[in-house]
Amino acid sequence: MSTPAQVWSYRTLIANLAQRDLKSRYKKSFIGWLWSLINPATTLAIYTVVFGIILGAQAPIAGNGKLNSFALYLFCGLVVWNFFSGTINISIVSFQTAGGLLTRTYFPPECPMISGLITVAIQAALEVLILFGFMILFGNVSWTFIVVIPIFLLLACFAFGIGLVLGLGNIRYRDVSYLVGIGLQVLFYLTPIVYTIELATSKSAVLGKILRANPLTSYVYGIRQCVYSLGLPTTSNWLMMGASATVSLVVGWWIFGRYAPRVIEEL
Amino acid sequence: MSAISVDGVSKKFRLQTDQAHSVKELVTRRDRRAGHDSFWALRDVSLEIEQGSMFALVGHNGSGKSTLLRCIANIYRPTTGTVRVDGRISTLLELGAGFHPDLTGRENVYMNATILGMSKKQIDASFDDIVEFAGVQEFIDSPVKIYSSGMYVRLGFSVAVHVDPEILIIDEVIAVGDAEFQRKCFDYLYDLRRKGVTIVVVTHSTGTVEAMCDGAAWLDHGELQLVGTGPEVAAAYLGRVNEAEREARDAAQTVAVSTGAVAAEDVVVSGVEFLDVDGRASGTAIHREQCTIRISYEAARPVSNPVFGIALHSGSGVHLTGTNTKIDSVDTGKIDGSGHVDFVIESLPLTPGDYELTVAVNDEFVQHVYDRHDRAWRLAVREGTSLAPEGLMDLRGRWSLSPTE
Repeated sequence: MSTPAQVWSYRTLIANLAQRDLKSRYKKSFIGWLWSLINPATTLAIYTVVFGIILGAQAPIAGNGKLNSFALYLFCGLVVWNFFSGTINISIVSFQTAGGLLTRTYFPPECPMISGLITVAIQAALEVLILFGFMILFGNVSWTFIVVIPIFLLLACFAFGIGLVLGLGNIRYRDVSYLVGIGLQVLFYLTPIVYTIELATSKSAVLGKILRANPLTSYVYGIRQCVYSLGLPTTSNWLMMGASATVSLVVGWWIFGRYAPRVIEEL
Repeated sequence: MSAISVDGVSKKFRLQTDQAHSVKELVTRRDRRAGHDSFWALRDVSLEIEQGSMFALVGHNGSGKSTLLRCIANIYRPTTGTVRVDGRISTLLELGAGFHPDLTGRENVYMNATILGMSKKQIDASFDDIVEFAGVQEFIDSPVKIYSSGMYVRLGFSVAVHVDPEILIIDEVIAVGDAEFQRKCFDYLYDLRRKGVTIVVVTHSTGTVEAMCDGAAWLDHGELQLVGTGPEVAAAYLGRVNEAEREARDAAQTVAVSTGAVAAEDVVVSGVEFLDVDGRASGTAIHREQCTIRISYEAARPVSNPVFGIALHSGSGVHLTGTNTKIDSVDTGKIDGSGHVDFVIESLPLTPGDYELTVAVNDEFVQHVYDRHDRAWRLAVREGTSLAPEGLMDLRGRWSLSPTE
């Protein structure tokens, strides 16, 4: 297992891998990195139309007491979701791409995983800034915006730990990538993103319990609190985020450190 | 002081043929252990590589050379035993390892050098040298996918040797470049070695091992056969290769004869004699006198243009010279039955001492060896009428002195 210090000594490599990823991603494309914004924008538009307009989903009144936009309420949840699912997906790709490299030269196998996380984090930061832009436009602003940073740090740990294990598992069993596709879809609807948790609980108490047991719910709730409702996450919220992030990162890194060398030999 | 010490290293691999590749197989197969065959790629290998030496690993394909390199480079972990490495390692294990086809040569140089542990500042400083050595100046801003395989390996080699390594580990990649680049590589490696860099190479060229390596190890089926100086290991390895080929041929012949088919394609060397100036056979030759090497052959069927070759080694194992009828542009025509080939040395330029002669017969393209006897004959050279010079060879130059008026 690579220690954090060993990984740190390869920081130039991590930065370069991330840079290479970003550079090669939009090479030969006409509008380049704009695609990274068009994608989430489209998702947002579709969900707004389907759930907000056709199905008539309602968002609560925002923190400034005036704003009531389902689209922005949805956007808060989507930012969390995009970061989470993006990290999972890129972890699988990163380990696969770096696999060839790892059989030819030594560096800590965590490096490509971290650089993958960085590219996703940059994308998430961009989305968050756009979200802030809209909030400012509608006059829904508060210092609580800053709380987004610790929430995202915890979310990064949570997603990264899971990504490490799935990236590793995918090399051994190709089923993992298919399972992840389905799993993410299920998880998306098991997280109150396109609906409110209150609405779900009012229909079924069991469903409400399941939703509350899902760690992602606490991250979505946390972001909505500090960006949309301009409040702070509750203590139980913080505990859920802290616990899920710690467990995921520690267990994920341990599994990765233990099995990655063996998996690399079989590449 | 040894830069690398390998102590009792064994490496076991699981054969992947029967391994579950889907979760379904994993769940449904009752006895998961049963399908796992393993094989030992390395068995109890121990060796020390001195700091500042050039060390070669030889052996046929699948003998564990690359596995050992990867263990040394910390890519594989030994199943048992330990590898201790003292110094910063740079590796060149595969052609263009780590190059991303869509990125330019420049971007890939930075990428590759950081993988090998260099900082951006260090790369900036040696960037021009890297590109110049690889000779890809015109293409450095083009994506590497348009590079030829030669350019690929040149750039890869160039990065690997310019990252200021203390230990350089190279698999058989240099063989891909053209002859000029290979020479350049070896010159560079030689320079690095002089600066105290430890170099470990895998090679199939026994010539390289003999001429350039301080030490070598010969692996066979994961087991260490011999560790010694370059010439020692090269000779032993070559001996085994030739023996194996002879055995294989003999076996093929036996089979062919027993089935009644006409088998023998061969020309064999039936004897070698050393003749003096009067044509008498003798076990000794005289320095600066005529010496004829007579190679008797027997051809079982007509063979056109066989290439006869000889090589001389000193008693201490130094490869002195070697030539053949192809190098000397001699047309041997079609031979059939028995006969002999004479190689006449007008005035023997060898200093007194013992020498060993290798004789071989190859097909006209020097691709197939009909027969070969490695260092099988001993030639004793004795002092003649003139005083013999020092060392192994007589340059037979002419001195002249012209005082300035």
